[in-house]
Amino acid sequence: MSSSKNGLNKTGTRNFIILAMFMPIILLIFIIYYPAVVTFFTSLTSKNLRLPGTQHFVFLKNYHTLLKTKEFWTVTLRTLVIVVFTLILEITIGFLIALLLNENFKGRGIVRTLVIIPWMLPPVVNGFLWNWVLNGEYGALNGLLYQLGIIHKYRFWLQNPNAQIFWVIIVQTWTRFAFPMIIMLAGLQSIPDELYEVASIDGAGPLDKLRFITLPMLLPSIAVSLTVEFIAAFQIFDVVWTLTAGGSAGNVINPFTKTLMIYNFQVVFRDMTLGLGSALAYIILIMSLAVGIFFIKILYERAVER
Amino acid sequence: MRNMNRKMRTTLKLVVLYSLSAIVLVWALSPVFWIVISSISTRTELLSRPYKHWIPHRPTLQNFIDVVTVGQRYRAGGILPTAMLLLSGLRNTLIISLSTAFLITSMATVVGYCFARLNFRGKNFLFFFIMLMMPLPIWVSIVSLYYLLAHIGLIDTNLGLILILSTLSIPLAVWLMITFVRDTPRELEEAALMDGATRWQMIRRVVVPITMPGITSVFLVTFLNTWNSFLIPLIFTNTARSQTITVVLSLFVGQYEVAWEQMAAATVLIMIPPIVLALFFQKYLIRGLTLGAVKG
Repeated sequence: MSSSKNGLNKTGTRNFIILAMFMPIILLIFIIYYPAVVTFFTSLTSKNLRLPGTQHFVFLKNYHTLLKTKEFWTVTLRTLVIVVFTLILEITIGFLIALLLNENFKGRGIVRTLVIIPWMLPPVVNGFLWNWVLNGEYGALNGLLYQLGIIHKYRFWLQNPNAQIFWVIIVQTWTRFAFPMIIMLAGLQSIPDELYEVASIDGAGPLDKLRFITLPMLLPSIAVSLTVEFIAAFQIFDVVWTLTAGGSAGNVINPFTKTLMIYNFQVVFRDMTLGLGSALAYIILIMSLAVGIFFIKILYERAVER
Repeated sequence: MRNMNRKMRTTLKLVVLYSLSAIVLVWALSPVFWIVISSISTRTELLSRPYKHWIPHRPTLQNFIDVVTVGQRYRAGGILPTAMLLLSGLRNTLIISLSTAFLITSMATVVGYCFARLNFRGKNFLFFFIMLMMPLPIWVSIVSLYYLLAHIGLIDTNLGLILILSTLSIPLAVWLMITFVRDTPRELEEAALMDGATRWQMIRRVVVPITMPGITSVFLVTFLNTWNSFLIPLIFTNTARSQTITVVLSLFVGQYEVAWEQMAAATVLIMIPPIVLALFFQKYLIRGLTLGAVKG
């Protein structure tokens, strides 16, 4: 009797694993996988909740329609522009701050603690914080620039479409730069000092060291940062929602900062064209598949392999 | 002479380092500073043009009191004053974040142990099965999940949100627990098993105490992510019954009749838990949020 309960018993161990895995597997199937399969079948139909009873099997027509729509390409291109500029800014700013915090000085621990605060806040709050800073009537940016004599009239910073994209990029960078910073700081701290000493003896200057030691040694950290930040920026939603999207309480969504995720939200929950929305969801999934698989590979290598 | 030179250079270097640190802090904190200032300003000072009250002349906590007691009448909804929406939002967010964190932490401890210590058929497949959704856009699930949950009456309920947000928290929590368990020695576990303990008893008596810092980390990371979540609550809630605090905030944005000073106070309330976590529990959060790249 006691031996069947013993943890070293083979059946006992098997039962333990089955019991342990039961709940997460059920949850994942119920919340993620089963709905995903349903969505796939929906994507092959003309389901539209505004026109009940019109659901037909249309095979790949929704995909075809989307790929022909101008708006789809505009939104995709806009999302990619946001991703590219955000990544460049985040990696650059993260790297520079990591270099600074890699120096030894009193109080750098406090700086490190404080500098990651934006990253800890809800992104949707960050969008609002900047919305308020950039407010055309009472915003702090106007107040500051006016006081410094740089502008003589209050401006509406979020008025023109290009400016909106610019600020979306800035706010996303502000929200996320701490991640690459911390990853690269850890990378910097793992570079052995001897490398730099040897280089000094060989007469290398600071720029040579940066180029031939620091950057190559940081490549793995940069790769991880790029992967994670690509995923975050590609799925940008919260920040845009409160900064420029303006879709709250059923109002119209601003077309000029519509990203893929917001586009999908609109097609499904505002236009109620479910068939089209499902197809769009799968197209977005396919677009992010390569980076996603790479990400899981990183997870696997760090946890299971070894 | 040479000594002097060296001293000068050290001082100069320090000046540069501190100036750069100041710039970095201004970049990271000025919007936060501004919202805090706004929240303790009187309406007259806050809305003065040109603005000049960087430090409020008459700082006040009235906005905080107003925002949870009176509030502005929220126009689009037309029914509830903001104060009630905010309070129910805070309540819902607290319920959801705490439940999710408790549920996921206990689940992830056991599952993480399995992956870290046991070999079984289909292990790699299960790992992939659990992790796959983490980096991918979840819209493929959301579209149908909404109508699925609507069928069984889980839309606009805290339970529905807990189910979804818990499921979304599984991959990171499990992955973290795998790394935490793997980093602890296994001798004690084996000794307990030799003494005839079942796996469950052994986990409770050995694994949980040893990996307590890791478990704390998983709990706090899950809590923070749930507290900060927005897209899922936005989609799966309709009324004050389950709208979270982030959703309530988003409803106020863009309303013309909004009282900025009260909105700032509301925002500060939302920001308190994340900031407290960042300041006092950062060590636990960092490892969890950097995929183990940085040992906290």
